Amino acid sequence: MSGEEGLPVTPAEEASPVPPSQETRREAMAFVVAAASWLVPGLGHALLKMWGRAVICFLTVGVLVWVGAGMRGNLFTSRGNDAFDSLGYLADLGTGGFYWVAKSLETNGPDVSRADGDYGTRFLATAGVFNLLAALHAYEVARGRKV
Amino acid sequence: MRAWRLIGLLNTLTGVRLSHFQALVVFALVISIAFGFLGRRRPMERVKYILWTLLLFILIGVGIGWAMYPFSH
Repeated sequence: MSGEEGLPVTPAEEASPVPPSQETRREAMAFVVAAASWLVPGLGHALLKMWGRAVICFLTVGVLVWVGAGMRGNLFTSRGNDAFDSLGYLADLGTGGFYWVAKSLETNGPDVSRADGDYGTRFLATAGVFNLLAALHAYEVARGRKV
Repeated sequence: MRAWRLIGLLNTLTGVRLSHFQALVVFALVISIAFGFLGRRRPMERVKYILWTLLLFILIGVGIGWAMYPFSH
């Protein structure tokens, strides 16, 4: 079995069902879905008509942000002092639009002098990391690698 | 004036006070449901996955809590 230039070609490459132009379009669409999923939790899955997962992603991030902000968790900013602050900021930023929702909910600012505030910080970070995971899942589904 | 009232109301609504165990259960429940929906497709598989993950979250959380108990005294 050989290709046009005499190079060996595997059966999977030879029988590629998707033309390159369609593949590029699918890739671009997958990026749009991932970006939408990050910006508004669940939107990426909604674009793929996965309604159950869309609602669950939205509610999960929403509940975690609401509880985290309610417990006065620390919402990191871009002006961090060390690597942990920067990592925390990246995790919080993962919530997309909910980052600003959390900011507006925390009218009294964070209070990590109590265990509540410390737990709240973890809730907020988890919301961000979960949303990034959901965006990656939506991207993979849009690429056709997952169902 | 109205805006301040709204912020006050929002504050009251968002002021969440949970015990350590309640926080653990809320966290475990929310994440288990989310993982169940993302990781499995069939309803029965989802239910099994959610219950199993929830159980493990709580058991391991309480276990780690007890493991740390001697160091807190």
